[in-house]
Amino acid sequence: MFFWIAAALLTLGACLSVLLPFARRAARAAHASEHDLEVYKDQLDEIERDHGRGLIGQAEAEEAKAEIGRRILRLTGSSSPTDPAKERSGTAARFAAMAAVLAVPVVSWVGYAAVGSPDLPGQPLEARLSGNPANNTMEELVARAERHLAANPDDGKGWDVLGPIYLRLGRYPEAAKAFSTAIRLEGPSAGREAGLGEAIAAQADGIVTVEAAAAFNRALALEPKNPKARFFLATLKAQEGRLAEAAEAWSALAADSAADSPWRAAAEQAVAEAQRRLAEGPAQPSGEGPAGPSAEDVAAAETMAPADRTAMIETMVAGLDERLRQNPADGEGWQRLIRSYVVLGRKDDALEALKRAGEAFPADTQEARAIAALAAELGLVKTE
Amino acid sequence: MVEIGHFALVLAFALALVQAVLPFLGAVTANERLMAVAGPVTVTGFALTALSFAALTHAYVVSDFSVANVWENSHSLKPMIYKVSGVWGNHEGSMLLWVLILTFFGALVAAFGRNLPATLRANVLSVQGLIGAAFFLFILVTSNPFARLVPAPIEGRDLNPVLQDVGLAIHPPLLYLGYVGFSVCFSFAVAALIDGRIDAAWARWVRPWTLAAWVFLTGGIAMGSYWAYYELGWGGFWFWDPVENASFMPWLAGTALLHSAIVMEKRSALKIWTLLLAILTFSLSLLGTFLVRSGVLTSVHAFATDPSRGVFILAILTFFIGGSLALFALRSAALTPGGVFHPISREGALVLNNLFLTTATATVFVGTLYPLFIEAFSGDKISVGAPFFDMTFGALMVPLLVMVPFGPLLAWKRADLYAATQRLFVAFGGALLVVLAVLAVVDGASVAAALGIGLAVWLVLGALTDLALRAGIGSVGPGVALRRLAGLPRSTYGTALAHLGLGLTVLGIVGVTSFQGERIVAMRQGDTAEIAGYSLRFEGMRTVKGPNFTEDQGIFALGTTAGRDLGEIVSAKRIYPARQMPTTEAGIRTFGVSQLYVSLGDVTSDGGIVVRIWWKPMVTLIWFGALVMMAGGGVSLLDRRLRVGAPAARKRRDKVAVAGAVS
Repeated sequence: MFFWIAAALLTLGACLSVLLPFARRAARAAHASEHDLEVYKDQLDEIERDHGRGLIGQAEAEEAKAEIGRRILRLTGSSSPTDPAKERSGTAARFAAMAAVLAVPVVSWVGYAAVGSPDLPGQPLEARLSGNPANNTMEELVARAERHLAANPDDGKGWDVLGPIYLRLGRYPEAAKAFSTAIRLEGPSAGREAGLGEAIAAQADGIVTVEAAAAFNRALALEPKNPKARFFLATLKAQEGRLAEAAEAWSALAADSAADSPWRAAAEQAVAEAQRRLAEGPAQPSGEGPAGPSAEDVAAAETMAPADRTAMIETMVAGLDERLRQNPADGEGWQRLIRSYVVLGRKDDALEALKRAGEAFPADTQEARAIAALAAELGLVKTE
Repeated sequence: MVEIGHFALVLAFALALVQAVLPFLGAVTANERLMAVAGPVTVTGFALTALSFAALTHAYVVSDFSVANVWENSHSLKPMIYKVSGVWGNHEGSMLLWVLILTFFGALVAAFGRNLPATLRANVLSVQGLIGAAFFLFILVTSNPFARLVPAPIEGRDLNPVLQDVGLAIHPPLLYLGYVGFSVCFSFAVAALIDGRIDAAWARWVRPWTLAAWVFLTGGIAMGSYWAYYELGWGGFWFWDPVENASFMPWLAGTALLHSAIVMEKRSALKIWTLLLAILTFSLSLLGTFLVRSGVLTSVHAFATDPSRGVFILAILTFFIGGSLALFALRSAALTPGGVFHPISREGALVLNNLFLTTATATVFVGTLYPLFIEAFSGDKISVGAPFFDMTFGALMVPLLVMVPFGPLLAWKRADLYAATQRLFVAFGGALLVVLAVLAVVDGASVAAALGIGLAVWLVLGALTDLALRAGIGSVGPGVALRRLAGLPRSTYGTALAHLGLGLTVLGIVGVTSFQGERIVAMRQGDTAEIAGYSLRFEGMRTVKGPNFTEDQGIFALGTTAGRDLGEIVSAKRIYPARQMPTTEAGIRTFGVSQLYVSLGDVTSDGGIVVRIWWKPMVTLIWFGALVMMAGGGVSLLDRRLRVGAPAARKRRDKVAVAGAVS
């Protein structure tokens, strides 16, 4: 409301500034030559002063005065004073002025409607962070917690709360720092160590690094059944190519978890994936492509309903498909895509992908042979 | 508050349109009331722009990240001075500052221009309104600083660390005051062309505006140069970078304009030429804006570039430059040419000055734009660097500088060159002595360096000679001379100071380029490096945490080679985590007018650090000279003879005189 009143007042003021001269009696304007004459008189005075101060000599002063005199003569010779009464009748002028007075609100309100956001209040940071927390967004709550911790860095409970939130927001370096600070202040616990491990792994794009593995192992030492630690340590095995062991560990995790535990679903999925890869026979050299779902994806999948999970997988496959359309020179990508389609039961799409892969690589290249072998293995083409 | 500022900006645009149209119609139809609209509308437009600017500044101060511009360029932990200066440390905000200054100058003309002929005043304000409208539209369409974000982020992305410096609080506002100040001269020139006549008051108005704009531009360029010198860590003060040239071209043209405006005011000559120069100077300012903001050039000034902005500015540029030059071609023939003069005269000297300065401007213009054209048409990247400018610009400057002391000694209309030369004998002798002294005393100095120093001394002594002669020192008694010296008009002091400052700047440039010493050494803790009689011992590194950065400081114990302790020099490298950008903070110690400059390089594999050490003799004179030039301009601006004549009744005379002296 305040904004509209202020805007209306500003507009009014602007219109008044246009109208102001019309409210006054028109003063007779001096003709331009009168101004010129005044300037020349000033210059004459100036020469007198300079001469008086001894800055210029008598002869110079005389000559300068003569020059100005000539200018004044030229001026009076050429001037033909205009009669102020000759000023054009005001009709056209009044019309122009009216148009201008109308144009000010029209241009400003239409223009503002196009670019402005009048309903958006200002949001000074201080006010956002000191108001009622119930009105805060997740981000603002995090910022409040950060401020609190910046002032009280030894509040272990605060760090404990913040760690998982950072993980969820994808702010992994901060998550790792929060977990390790909590461990330092509050002592190690399986949850904190596993969280730290997850944060470190997430920073490394889902690869369980030595550092992350150490954290998970510490978590297991504190709580041998900790599902997160077990899941990621199994991932580490898969990463190292020990797929059978990994599948075994995931199966054990799934068996230990309650039916409604997110870990159960994630572990089962991982087992299925591991078995599929085992079924593919001798492990193929795993290039730079990501070995499996990233920790981020796993974390997301953990909390998802099965339907959502399928949707997520579909999206990832579609993303891969699209990427290969843009950049078809990726043999491993094609293999992964074809396999995914077969797993999802979309045989037609798999055949289509196989055809496109065939176009991307000449028949006698290594990539083409690998893709053909895969197709045969998956039963997509009949081998003779 | 934010949206009120936003609305005020749109309203200011609407008023700028009115300001452009109504007074012009009034001037054409000789309607007093329509012409009188210009005054209140201009002042209101300024008030609205100021409100808008205040709203944006407020959003920065309270870290309102719902404003996209604040989010992109601020950070809640940034020190307050950088929150405020960050307002114009980005494209959108700096354009808002640009129009703020434009409307401010418009309001000044409206407020103090009551004694200008009515049609001239109306036309000037109308042209100002047109420029304002174009830039308001540019801001609203392509670079709106009030664009909002929903939801508002919780933390900003911080200001470019290179810009987090006091320099940002000074350099852009000064530069804009200069650029935009020339817009007033431009408006006066276009108004005179529309009117078809140049009033006597015209010259009296154009000169102070030129002078004020020139003073600000000089300050802006000098500040920018000093900032680059201490912030970038290369120890250079001028790089012939296209962006620097973009500000240097209006300065050269503005200097020419300043001098031709003197001839015009004093002698009514060179009217049409002055008009053309006024148009060219502002056109070069616009060109500078285009070069810097269109993304044609990449530099620290370019901020986020966007092709649509470039096209828009190009359109504005074409409209104003093309329009004004076309108007000039059509109407200049109708203007009455001014007085005549002998080639050997003050006027003649000033014409020569103008020829050199405009040629120099053209040289810089070619050197700046040629590579861009080549790149645009053939795709080849060529670099026109310092050698080109030294060869061409330098070659043009030397004769001009040699002639500078003669100018003020020549009489108006017709002068005696021989007499002037005789009077400069002392200055010449002094310069010659210095040249010989440099050759004899300073070991290994080249002849060119000695001559360069001599040229600088010639300028300084020449400026002093002018003052001494006018006071009559040597021909009258000391008491009389002193009284006369005190009674000299301020514009005489202005001239002398400006020329003296130029001499000091030349002295600094020649000194530092000819005699500077440089050492690049890898130092480990305890190592000592020596340069120019000073020794630096590397004491080690320490890490210091600033409000929004961390700093690795290298500590150096400074002493003379003779063993006297001079304290320590701290040189640092900073890293700003919000943008993950490093900056250097050179360690500088000033001795008189010379400086010792220490900059940190990379860490070497054996645990040492590369340290670059420069001995920069007389370097501060470069900027001190610029300050003296500014002081000269300021003193000249205060000269009460700049009063504009108004056809006032006799009894009001004194009041007008007082007002003139104050303004």
